[in-house]
Formats: sequence, structure tokens, C-alpha cells
Amino acid sequence: MIKITDLEKIYRTEDIETVALNKLSFEVKEGEFVAIMGPSGCGKSTLLNILGLLDDPDGGSFVFNNEEIAHYSESKRAQIRKRNIGFVFQSFNLIDELTVFENVELPLIYLNMKASERKEKVEEVLKKMQVMHRRNHYPQQLSGGQQQRVAVARAVVNNPKLILADEPTGNLDSSNGNEVMQLLTDLNEQGTTIIMVTHSEHDARYSHRIIRLLDGQMVLENSLI
Amino acid sequence: MIRNYIKIAWRNLLKNKGYSAINIGGLAVGMAVTMLIGLWIWDELSFDKYHQNYDNIARVMQHQNFNGEIGTQFANPAVLGQQIRDKYGSDFKYVLQSSWNFQHTLAYGEKKLLKAGSFFEPGVTEMLSLKMLKGTRAGLKETNSILLSESVAKAYFGNADPMEKILKIDNKVDVKVTGVYEDLPYNTSFRDLTFIMPWDLYLAQNPWIKEMENPWGSNFTQTFAQVADNADMEKVSAKIKNVKLDVLGPEERRYKPAIFLHPMSKWHLYADFKNGLNIGGRIQYVWLFGIVGLFVLLLACINFMNLSTARSEKRAKEVGVRKAIGSTRGQLITQFFSESFLVVFFAFALSLLLVTLLLPFFNETADKKILLPWLNPVFWLMGISFSIFTGLVAGSYPALYLSSFQPVKVLKGTFRVGRFAALPRKVLVVLQFSVSIILIIGTIVVYQQIQHAKNRPVGYNRESLIYVALNEVIHSKYDALRNELKTRNVIVEMSQSTSPTTEVWNTNGGFDWEGKDPNLGVDFPNNGVSHEYGKVIGWKIKEGRDFSRELASDSLAFIMNESAVKFIGFKNPVGKILRWEGKPYKIIGVIKDMLVESPYKPIRASLFHIEREQGNIIQLKINPNLAPSDALARIENTFKKYDPATSFEFNFVDEAFARKFGDEERVGTLAAVFAVLAIFISCLGLFGLASFVAEQRTKEIGIRKVVGASVFNLWTLLSKDFVALVIIACGIAIPLAWYGMYQWLQKYDYRTDISWWIFAAAILGAMLITILTVSFQAIKAAIANPVKSLRTE
Ligand SMILES: Nc1ncnc2c1ncn2[C@@H]1O[C@H](COP(=O)(O)OP(=O)(O)OP(=O)(O)O)[C@@H](O)[C@H]1O
Ligand SMILES: [Mg+2]
Repeated sequence: MIKITDLEKIYRTEDIETVALNKLSFEVKEGEFVAIMGPSGCGKSTLLNILGLLDDPDGGSFVFNNEEIAHYSESKRAQIRKRNIGFVFQSFNLIDELTVFENVELPLIYLNMKASERKEKVEEVLKKMQVMHRRNHYPQQLSGGQQQRVAVARAVVNNPKLILADEPTGNLDSSNGNEVMQLLTDLNEQGTTIIMVTHSEHDARYSHRIIRLLDGQMVLENSLI
Repeated sequence: MIRNYIKIAWRNLLKNKGYSAINIGGLAVGMAVTMLIGLWIWDELSFDKYHQNYDNIARVMQHQNFNGEIGTQFANPAVLGQQIRDKYGSDFKYVLQSSWNFQHTLAYGEKKLLKAGSFFEPGVTEMLSLKMLKGTRAGLKETNSILLSESVAKAYFGNADPMEKILKIDNKVDVKVTGVYEDLPYNTSFRDLTFIMPWDLYLAQNPWIKEMENPWGSNFTQTFAQVADNADMEKVSAKIKNVKLDVLGPEERRYKPAIFLHPMSKWHLYADFKNGLNIGGRIQYVWLFGIVGLFVLLLACINFMNLSTARSEKRAKEVGVRKAIGSTRGQLITQFFSESFLVVFFAFALSLLLVTLLLPFFNETADKKILLPWLNPVFWLMGISFSIFTGLVAGSYPALYLSSFQPVKVLKGTFRVGRFAALPRKVLVVLQFSVSIILIIGTIVVYQQIQHAKNRPVGYNRESLIYVALNEVIHSKYDALRNELKTRNVIVEMSQSTSPTTEVWNTNGGFDWEGKDPNLGVDFPNNGVSHEYGKVIGWKIKEGRDFSRELASDSLAFIMNESAVKFIGFKNPVGKILRWEGKPYKIIGVIKDMLVESPYKPIRASLFHIEREQGNIIQLKINPNLAPSDALARIENTFKKYDPATSFEFNFVDEAFARKFGDEERVGTLAAVFAVLAIFISCLGLFGLASFVAEQRTKEIGIRKVVGASVFNLWTLLSKDFVALVIIACGIAIPLAWYGMYQWLQKYDYRTDISWWIFAAAILGAMLITILTVSFQAIKAAIANPVKSLRTE
């Protein structure tokens, strides 16, 4: 599903050049659950943003579903993104002015889905995430765990083939964290490919394979199955 | 402490240069507009106040019943003044008869110039409290004397002493300069009174006045009065009501003349009468522009408040920290007011600069001679209190609002201003756009009305048509002059007449016809013309024929316009008899109605007859095959040949016609300028607000992009709030504008309809402006990389 070769990302500010990704290569097959680990600042978020087509690499190749997309324009990337990829962020990134229901509904609106169909899908996923009773609340009125479940609900509502999660449990206590991990595992079992960044060895154990990064380079790859 | 406040305020200005520029610029433009309007209103209200007896001076006027309606005029019989003095002398300090203020040729040696002036009874110098620079106010006692205004004296004598010098008036009579008075200011009704001669001289020059059989039958002079110091103007006015009626015979009583005093304080702003009632006049523009000025200032203040509150989210943290370390609410309020006053101070300085730069243009458009009263303490007092007021109004909302933030909430991050939800801000934007839209609609309607009146058929041909004053010398050689100009092929034709084609100088009563209601007093414009008048102006004969030199019987003939036929009620007018002062005149032709007077009023029933003795005007149709400058030079030569003593001055008829639109065009231009400025200020505000909203919503925009929003989606998202507000503003503005403009149009008899497209255009215009203004920010936000915006969390 994903194949990157010699991927590079360099941040240039006025005085320093930071090599965030340094000729990174690996492959992720459809249906895999991959964890990415490494110390702070090693380039995990940068990698995830590129894999999620939010950001451009500065070099190397990136093949997504057999398409070379490293140099696609933003509007083309947006098209691929909205059909194939769901995001879960460490800081939830819900829109404060929208209710739980409206937040989850958003990706479907951008897919031009009919209102009745949207309602059905959103309610289905909210039930699955056990936040249905909070559907008319605003994000500020929810606990961290609930917010993260809403964020997951939003990521999966349009049945993406790939879910990218950046420290999905980072802001949660262990029981809430386990709940979210269980959700991701369930999704994976139903066929969704998942790439997750985490600092927690415990969470990483839910995955099939761990990729360890240091200074933008892969230092170790261990399979758990 | 204050220094500290100002230092921090100054830093804040510098830190947000863009917003500071929008704030100061917007406020300065608003203040400049208000200041200009304020100066204009001041000038309008102080009109004629130059005269010390302002409160006691009046024009003696009369209402008369003409053609079934009450008409109001200031033309009076020459004996009216004496009659009032005789009967009510104790109520007045002065009752003064005067001629019209006309142009006369004043000659000193070789120097001949046309200057405007009047013949006046001697009390005028005291009544108008003329400031004598040379001589005394007693200077009009001798019959052959003249008082010159300073500028006229300068024009003839430079720095030499003008006293006792002899001037020749209209090549006829010598007068001695007995005084020089300070020029009357531009904002006085007598500003064109550039010299004054004694009334007695006028009577001596026109002996027929004293020999008139019926001195009460003709109205051809003006009367001014100053009531006694202790008298009540209104009571005196009521008292003299029948002074004319009482002396009239039964024939003239039908006009029911009612004499009244029109006080000087109302000459300029309340000059309009309709059916015997004063219906105001320019005062409505004073109100209108006053309101506009206040609104423009309000718009600018609204911007200021809007931008400051919009910035409050960014400054909420600052407020929280300040409060946490012990700042009181009062200190915060002082801080925010310091900032607002600093902005206002800069804006005031900038607005003074703007006003200085704009004043010449403004004076030209508004037909004013306003100077910035730099040395007038009242001006400064007003300017400064006005700034303080603006600072308070503009600063109060942010100051009180920002300082009320709760520090705990702000610091914990749970505080939210709400992206655009704040109701007051919405109300302010709606208000702003309502005013702008009303101004847009108003401007369009004013222009439409002018255009409508300009497109009104005039019924004659103004092209290559000029007119010249007719004097006695030319009059005696009229036919020779005409022949020479015609044989030299300089003109197509030329005619003389008592009135020009763009004004009515002469009306007559005393008409009778078969079937006329004996109690109806009639009064028609009655132009005495030479035979070629119709050919010169190209009028259109509808029935019958034009005057002819071949037919001697045409000396007792009328040509009338369609309105006259309608008024009199003849079915087949040609050949019918219309009696005038008992003499039978045959109607030989009917012409299409010609637009002679106001383009906004119905055309009066008008007559034309042959009159070769008493002409005032020569009109010439220039040969269209000649270059105009060439033709004019040749005409001037020929006139000079016949009358070397008079300087040749002419007017184009189409220019005289265009002057009829002066007032409305001025209003239109000013309204357009104000509309553009109001829109400009509103756009500045909108632009600033849009950028804040975009900034506040960066995170949301980022998230939306991540979950699939396109640039178009985001652009709609960011613009639609503003568009919704503008739609609400349209809903408020349109009925108000419609009502206002409908009322305004009512004062014109000939008026345009307010068509729906005006509103459509205003809505569309407002929408377009909004979308363009907001889009810049919206698109900028929408194409930004979402990774960046999410990182800022
Ligand atoms: N916009 C940017 N400009 C400059 N440098 C950047 C930018 N974004 C990231 N970096 C740098 O790139 C490197 C990788 O950043 P990245 O955010 O990918 O780290 P990370 O592995 O996600 O760290 P963490 O576990 O703390 O989230 C860091 O050194 C960071 O300072
Ligand atoms: Mg990270």
C-alpha cells in the first residue's frame, strides 16, 4: 500500500537546517498495523504528515496505492486524502465550535454525501465509539478519552483504507488509552491499515511491527508476529 | 504612570503595524469627512451673519393668486417701499427699494468692465452694516454717486485713491466715487453686490417709472426692510399683509396679493415656497449631510471598536497575566483608553492634513470659499472635544470589554471569545453596511434624477446658440448689425427678446378670452421677441405659423405653447382672439412646449409676441460651418464696430441651461464622494475583521483541510458569515433608502421613478465588495499549509 524510498525532509530556517527525515525507506502492506517509535524530535510527526499527504517530502519517492505521489499538487493530494486517509492526533484537533455529531460529520460533507446517509453513518460510528449519548455536546464538555474517541470516530467515519494516528493515547490515562487501542485493533481486524506513532511500549505491542527511528533514520525494525 | 501607559500603547501600535494603519487611516478619513461636513454646515448656518442687523433684516415679498395657484415672488412695485413707510413707518428702521442686481458697464477712461451692482435707497449702507474702507456710509446721499466694493475699486484704480473719481455707467451717466466698502463675503446673499448707486439715479435714468399710469400694476423691483429694534418680525409681517391689496382696483384685486416679510435668517436655507407656504429648501441638505457626517464618523469608530475587540483574543492572555500580577480593572481600562487616545491623536493629526489637502477640491465641488480656521479657538475646542468624544466612544467597548476578562479562564485556556459569534460585532458590521448601502442607493437616485431631467425634451435647439445683453446703442443699430453679420455669413440668424430662452424675466396679467372665469387672475410668461426669434432657437411649430416681417398684422399676434392652449382650453386655437389689456391679439401659431425654467417643474403656459422696442437680450445662432472661436471673434469685431464703448460679453445658451442642474449636481457629487468614503471605511474594517477571523480560525481551517475540505469549501466557509451580515444590512438599508429617496423626489414635479435595478445594483455592489475584501484573507488562510496551523496548537 505504501512504499517509501530514500525519503528526505529538511527544515530550513534562517540560521539552521534540520534534517528531519534522512533517506528513509520502508514499506507498509495493506492490512498491516505498524507502530513508529523513537525519541522526541526524531522525525515521527514529520513522517506521519508526509505519509498522510499533508506535507511534501524534499526528496525520495513515495508510492501510495501504486501511484508515485511525491510531487503531486496540493489539490490532487487533497482528493486522495479525503477518500483514503483518516487522521487521529495526539491533541484531538476537534473543532470547538462544532458539536460531536458535526465534527464527525465533517469528512462526509466534504465527500458530498446526502444528509440522510450522513446521519446514518455518523450515528453508527458514534455508537461504536460509545459517544452516541454525547452527540450534541461540544468538545470542551467532554473528557479527554471521550474527545479522543470522537477524533477516532471522525477518522474512520468515511471508511478510510489507512488510518494515521500520532500518539493517540498521549493525553489519556491508561484505561482510556487501552480503550482507544482496542478500537484501533478492531478496525485493523476489519481490514484497515494503521500506522501509529507512540512513545509507549505497551501501546506498541498492539501492532504487528515496530519501526524505530533516530535522527530521521530507521535504526531497527522488529516484527511482533 | 501615564508615561508608562503611553509607552506600552505606542509599542502595541508598532507591534501590529498593519492593524494600526487600518485603524488610524480609517479613523482619520472618517474624521476628515466629518470635519469637512462640519465646516460646510457651519458655513451654511452662518450665511448672511456678516450683517450686524441679521436678525432684523427681511426681504419684502408677496404671495399672489395666479392661474388658480398661490405663487410667491420677490418682485414688487416700485412704490411699495414708500407705501409701507407711510403706513407703518414706526415698525421699521428702514424700508428700502432697490433694482435687480444686474451687470453694468463701468468705464474709467479707457478701462471698461462689466460689473454687477444695484441701485439702492441710501439706508442700505447702514442696514447691511457695510464696513467702509474709504468715505462714509452717507455716501449715497448725492444722486450721482457710487460706492465701490474693495475688489472693484482695486480693478479700476489699483493702489491709487478712488475717492472723488468719476466713472461712466453704461455709456450714459457720470457718477462720482464717494466710498469703498469691504467686499461682502462669499457666504452672504449680497456677495454679488459689487457696487451700489442711489435709487434716485435709477429713477432719473428711467423716467417712465414715475410716469406710470398704474404704478401698482407692475412688479419689477425689490424691497428690503429692517424692522425697528424692539419690533417682532412676525407681527410686523402680519400687519403689512394688505398694504398692497388695499390700494388696488377691482381688476388687480383678483390676484389677492399678500405682502409679508421673509427674514434674512431664512433667505438661504428656507427659500422655497409652495402654494403660499414656506417648505424649506437647502436646510434639508444641511440635515442630510449632518446625518451623513455623523454616520461616517460612526462607521470609523465602529471599525476601531471592531478591530480592537477582534484583537481581544490575542490580548486576552496579556489581560490575564496583568490581572494575575495585580493590575486592577481601572488600570487596565486606563491602559486601553491610552491606546485608543493615541490612535485618535494620530488620526486627528492625519485628518487635519487630509482636510487641508482636500479643502480646495471640496470648495470647488460644494461652491464654497471655506478656509480652515486655524486661529479660531472655537475650531480647536470643537476639534479637540470631538477627538476626545471619538476616543471615548471608540475606546470604550474594547476598554470595558477587555478589562472584564476573567484571569483564571484566560490562563487555563478555557476562555474563548467565540470566533465571530459576538453579537455586538455583528450588529456593528450590519450597521456599517446599512449606511454604505443607503449612501450607494441615494447617490444612484440623485444621479438618475439629474439624468432624467437632463434627458427631458427641451423643445428647441441649443446648439451654436449664444446670447448677449442688448443695450441702447446696439438697439438703435439692430437691423444694420443683423444684416452685416448675416451677409458675412457669421451667423445663421439673430433675434432680440425681453427674456433669454433659459429664464423668464417678464410675466404679464390682464388677459381675457372667450369663456374665461371672470374671477380667475392669470399671469403668463410673455416674451416680447423680434420676428426671427423662433428661427434662431429652432422652436417647433405644431399648428399655425411663425411670425413674419411681411405681415404688419403680426404686431397684434400671439404664438403660444401647448401648455397655454391646454390652460386656456381652446379646441382650435389658431385664429382665435386673446385680449391683452383690452387689445385683441390673434393667435397665429402653437409651438411645442419649451423647457425654459426649472427642469424639474411643469412647463408654464407661455406667450410670445412681437416687441421691437423693449428688448434685453440678443440671441445669435452661429454659423455651424465656422469654427466657434473664429465665429465668436468675428461677432465681437462687428459688435465693437457698432458699439465701441461696450465690452463684448456673451453666454452660451447650453451653458446657461447646464447651470440649472448646479445644485443637484453638487449634491450628487458630494453624495458620491461620501458614499465612496463610507464604503472605503467599511471595507477597511471588513478587511481587518476578516483577517482576524481568519487568524482566529487557523486551527479550525487546518483541521478541516485534513479531513478533506477544498480551498473552495474553506473560502465559502470564511466568506459566508460576512455575506450573511451584508444581506441583513441590505434588508435594513433598502426600505430606509427607498423611503428617504421617495421623499426627496417628491419635491420635484418632474421626477424619475426609483427602479428596482438600483436596489439590485446596490446589493450586488455591496456583495461584490464584501466578497472581494473577505476573499483575500479567506483564500490566504485556505491555501496555507495545514501542518503549520496545527503545529501552532
Ligand atoms: N516547521 C519546522 N521548522 C523547523 N524545524 C522543524 C519544523 N517542524 C519540525 N522541525 C524539526 O524537525 C525535527 C523532527 O520533528 P518532529 O515533529 O517530526 O519530531 P517528533 O519525532 O514528532 O517529536 P515528538 O515525539 O516530540 O513529537 C525536530 O528536530 C523539529 O525541531
Ligand atoms: Mg510528534
